[in-house]
This record gives sequence, structure tokens and C-alpha cells, in this order.
Amino acid sequence: MSEKIYGLNTVLVLAVVFIIVGAGIGYGVSWAVGPGAVSPTDLGTLKAGFIYVGPIGDFGWSHAHDQGRQFVDDRYDWLETVYLESVPLDQTGNRIDYLINEQGCDVVFTTSYGYMDATIEAGGDHPDKMFFHCSGYKRAANVGTYFADFYQLYYLNGLMAGALTKSGKIGYVAAFPIPELIRHINAFELGAQEVNSSVTCEVKWLLTEWYDPVAARTAAESLIAAGCDMLAFTEDSPTVLQVAEENEGVYAFSHYSPMQSYAPTSCISGQLADWGVMYEDILQKIYLGQYDNTNLADVDYLWLMKEGGVELGGLFDVPINTLFIDDLDAINVTDPILGELSVYDLVMKRIDQMTDINVVFEPFTGPIYDQADMLMIEAGERATTFELLTITWFVKGVIGDPTP
Amino acid sequence: MSIVLIGSSIVTAATFFLIPTLGEILTERSGILNLGVEGMVISSAAAAFAVTYLTGNAMIGVLAGMAVGGILALIHAILSITFNRNQVVSGISLTVFGTGLSGLLGRDFVGRTIAALQPIPILGLSDIPFFGPVFFNKDILVYASFILVPVLWFILFRTRIGIVIRTVGENPAAAYTQGINVILVRYLCVILGGMLCGLGGAYMTVAWMPAWTEGMTGGRGWIVIALTVVALWHPITAFLGAYLFGMFHVLQFSFQLSGIPVAFINMLPYLSTIAFLLAWGILLNKQKVKRIIGAPSALCVPFEKG
Repeated sequence: MSEKIYGLNTVLVLAVVFIIVGAGIGYGVSWAVGPGAVSPTDLGTLKAGFIYVGPIGDFGWSHAHDQGRQFVDDRYDWLETVYLESVPLDQTGNRIDYLINEQGCDVVFTTSYGYMDATIEAGGDHPDKMFFHCSGYKRAANVGTYFADFYQLYYLNGLMAGALTKSGKIGYVAAFPIPELIRHINAFELGAQEVNSSVTCEVKWLLTEWYDPVAARTAAESLIAAGCDMLAFTEDSPTVLQVAEENEGVYAFSHYSPMQSYAPTSCISGQLADWGVMYEDILQKIYLGQYDNTNLADVDYLWLMKEGGVELGGLFDVPINTLFIDDLDAINVTDPILGELSVYDLVMKRIDQMTDINVVFEPFTGPIYDQADMLMIEAGERATTFELLTITWFVKGVIGDPTP
Repeated sequence: MSIVLIGSSIVTAATFFLIPTLGEILTERSGILNLGVEGMVISSAAAAFAVTYLTGNAMIGVLAGMAVGGILALIHAILSITFNRNQVVSGISLTVFGTGLSGLLGRDFVGRTIAALQPIPILGLSDIPFFGPVFFNKDILVYASFILVPVLWFILFRTRIGIVIRTVGENPAAAYTQGINVILVRYLCVILGGMLCGLGGAYMTVAWMPAWTEGMTGGRGWIVIALTVVALWHPITAFLGAYLFGMFHVLQFSFQLSGIPVAFINMLPYLSTIAFLLAWGILLNKQKVKRIIGAPSALCVPFEKG
């Protein structure tokens, strides 16, 4: 994470200084006029509590959230953070109470979908505190939501996989058949098809746990046995990368945390979440009084590449493993709009387009057909956010059952 | 190519089931039920990884894993043999404790990488089509499991030591009157059994999937308990059972496109455990057969002298 921090440092520190000074003045003025809602800070200190569903040592989801927590905690003197890990869903309510009553937290982040209802309830019990729930859709005056999605990155990974596959078969290890994963798998296959229309993507479901390296290993090995030489995954361990590293001619994409070190010669790229910048944004707005316990009902972060919540790579600041850049540069494709260019340039171009403020490229742009050859997204149309969040069908070319 | 890969996956998965099952067979043959397998396996997996990382030597890591397995088993032995506490409660406590302990031991080692035990092809055998790459191009712990099966069988059924162990498990009072130190025999069996569980845990993090992350066994230590029963407390059937379970584990992914619901395939190890229990109950209700294979009569029964 540290390389990442330095990359952004100069710009961010300056921006933050300006914001704090500027908003501090503004806040002082508004305070003089008369404060409306309860602010926990009065520009004093702020205490944030985090509830994780897994151990921070999972090197996946909870680990990434904790990296984000440490990032903001290290950065601001006014901020104090505490966390509870491996909190079972049925304990959410009393752990939130503990964070507020015993630890004196002003704001609590609950970082798993299953905490949704308990977080809303806690919002009712503690109307003077603030809550943020990750990946859910229920909000209240003092409960906001936030999430970062990877589908654009899976599409970019797909471009590379489609260009580099020798067998024409790419594979995907997936934990559970929920819209998030179906969206990821589709994006991966759409990217691959863009550079090589005959590529198929075979899916193996774990259906056990989010975090089950034993099953993930076997699933990856069975994909290799089926002839797949490019593997991506959505589950919470680095296992698929290790399997790729052990098998000659098999390559993989890292997921969630910077996992490239697990497969230095086989990890092509990957998807990285940077919860730190999102936590920074939220906590600063709370600190500066922009968010309080009355105005969170419409606060719903869904960060993609444009917002900097997610980025391409198996390591921060390394979008593509340098070992593969020459290979990607040597393969040319013809894009109807961009003309003939190398896959490497195509990936870079798409990054520019998707980080553009207007997001001038969207992977889910029609015509897109499902597995039964039915037209699901009309030519020229983009899938709506709602369609993407509720998607339950596989695009043509995916080999697998979306309802296993 | 692909059949070799699948066969190879089955062997590596089966080895993870097999080694701790041999340990549990030894433990239960002496009359002690140790439900702490999951705890011992995961703690020793963490310990083996940590020590391998620190020393750079996978074999020292394996020994550390075995030591941790042995020490945890000693706790169970003290509670269940010396203090005659309820073995089920003690074993389950050991599993819960071991799961927590593994998180503590492995805390600083998440995300680290080690040099795993490498496959050592066996000269001559590794060139046999299919069987060579599947069975004889593996790491040393897989070979160890091949050797442990006949060794444990020989000790249990062809030596005086084996008779002593089985007598202690079948009828400790009679063993005691013959001058056998029941307590000592049980202690040794439980500790050695724990060390085999430790070897299984070490196999996981040092050979099979060289990384440590919390909860990585995913509760598969419990399959060992089921396997011990399915195998009727016999090393040879344990070998077959472990490979059958290994096959279920691997083939669940191969059958994903067959139209059979995945959840059903995931159920097979447990469903087959129930089927085997039923079959054994019907087929083996004979005293003569039971002496060779079957639950030791004094399993889970505390022994008090005099």
C-alpha cells in the first residue's frame, strides 16, 4: 500500500490542507451562525469503529478494509479508529453498541452485506451517531452506504486474457452465484471476446465459503484440466494465483489485495480495491460537518475506476506485470473506433476512457447476447446500474450455470 | 493430460485426509476419542508455515507442525486420561481452541511466501504412464503417507505393541490386570495421533498450498472424524476411504456442467458417510469381524484403576 500512498501524496496532502483550512473557516462561520445537527467533532477529534466479517488476516476482503482503516488512521491526527474482526452476523447489534457505548465511537462502519439490517436498527437506537454500511442498499437519516465494484477491471483483465490465451479457453473460480460475481464473470468474458471472439470462459463454483482455499485450489486445477490457461477468480484467497504459478503455461489475475507476490511470474494483472481513499472521503466529510446524523439518507457511494476506489493491477501502481507488457504490445487488434492498435495500448486507452469524468467507455454496451443467444442489451445501449446490480444471466461464451 | 491433472489433484487432496485419519485411528484404537482433529490440523498448519518461513527449511517446519499437534493432543490426553473428563467436550474444546491458536500463531505470516516442498520423482516409477505422474512425482509427505498405511497396519495387527493398544481400547480393565500400563499406552497413542494430525496440517501449508491464511482448512478436519468411522478404524480401508473422499472433493468441480446441482455433489462425502455407517451396521454385526475392524469397545469410556 505504501507505494500507492506516495504516488498520491503530494496532490492529496495539498488538497487536504486546503480543504481543512477552507472548510474549517467555513465551519467556524456556520457554527457562529448556529449549528443545526449534532456534530461529533466540533473540529476536535473523531472516533471511528470498524466491524469486519472475517479475520484481518484473510488477505482478502477484511484485510483490504483494514488496510483502508490504517491508511486514514495514520494520516490524520484528529482521527482515532478501532476495529472488531470476525464478528458473526448475529452479534452485529451488540458489537455496534459496544463500539458506541464502551469505545465512544462517533461513526461505525459495518463492512459486510449481512450486517445491513442490524446497522439500520442500530441507526434507530443511536440517532445521534453515524453509520456506514458496505455493499447494502438500505439507508436512513444517519445510515449511509458505500461500495466499490470491480467489473471494469475484470473487463480489462479479460482483454489481456483473450490476447494471451493459447488454448482459447479462460477460466473463472467463483464463490457464490450472486449478481456481483455474474457481473464480474461476464465482464471478464466480454473483454476476452473483444480481442478474440472465439474465447470461451468456463466457470467453477465453490458454493462453500467466500474463503475456502482448499476448494479454490481444486476448482482451479479442474479448470486447468479442462484446458483453461488464463484464470480469474472472485473468492477471498490467493490460491488460484499459487496454482497458476505451479503450472507451466497457466496465468492468472489477482483479486482484491495486491497478491502478485504469490505468483511473480504468472500473475498478469488483477483488481485492487482502495478502501482507504473512500474512508478518507467519508471521514473528512464527517469531520468537516458535511455529513452528519441527519443527512445520510442519500449518501450512497458506488465507486468505480473514475472515483479511484478501484484500480488495475496485482500490485498497487503496477497495472500490468512488467513481464507481460512486451507480449501484450506485440499483439495487434482492430477496434472499430480506435483502429489498429496493440492490446497493451487498447488496455491503456480503455483505462483512460473509464477513468474519464464522463466514462466514455462501458464494457456492458450492446449488442450483448446471453448463453441462449437471446439479445439482452440492444446494440448501442449501455446496461443501467440497476441492470448491472441485479444481473442473473451469463453472456454468450461463458460455459457454466448461473444458477448452479 | 487432463486425466493426469485430475488424478494428481485427487492424490494431493486424499493425502490431506489420509494422514490425520491414520492418527485418529491410532488414537481411537487405544480407546480415546479425540474430536480436536480440526484444531490440531489448523494449528500445526500455521506453526509449520511460520517455522518454515523463519528458518527457510520446510522439513523443520514439518517437525514444528508435528510438535504442535503432539502438544495439543497432550492437553486432550491430560484432560481425558488423567482427569477422566468427558472426551467429547474436551475434543471439541480443543478444536475451538486450536482454531483460535492458529490465528495467533499465523498472525504475522499472512501474505508471506515460502519455498514449498518440491516433488521428487521416483526413478523408474515416475515414467509409468498415468500412474507415474499421479503417484510417483509427489513431495516427500505424500510418499510418507504411502508408507504410513502399511506401517500402522503392521504395528496394529502384527505386533505385540498392536495387541497391547487394541486390548487397551477394547478392555482396559483386562489389560490392566495383565500388567499393561493403560494410562501410558493411551497417552502415547493420543500424542502420536496428534503428531500425525500435525503432519497433515504441515502437509497443507508446506507442500499442498504454501501460504497461510486464517481458517484455511475450512472445517475439513471433521471429515477425518467421519473417515475414521467409514474406514472402520483400519489403516487399509482408511487409505481407500481417503482416496474416495479425495475423489469426491475433486470431481465435484468436474460435474458442474453435468446438470447435477453442485450443492448435491458437495454433500456426497457426508451422504456417503451416512450410507457407509448404515451399511456397516447391517453387514458387520458379527463379533468375529468386529475384532479386526470396528469401533473399539472401550472408545470414549473413561478408565479408572481398580
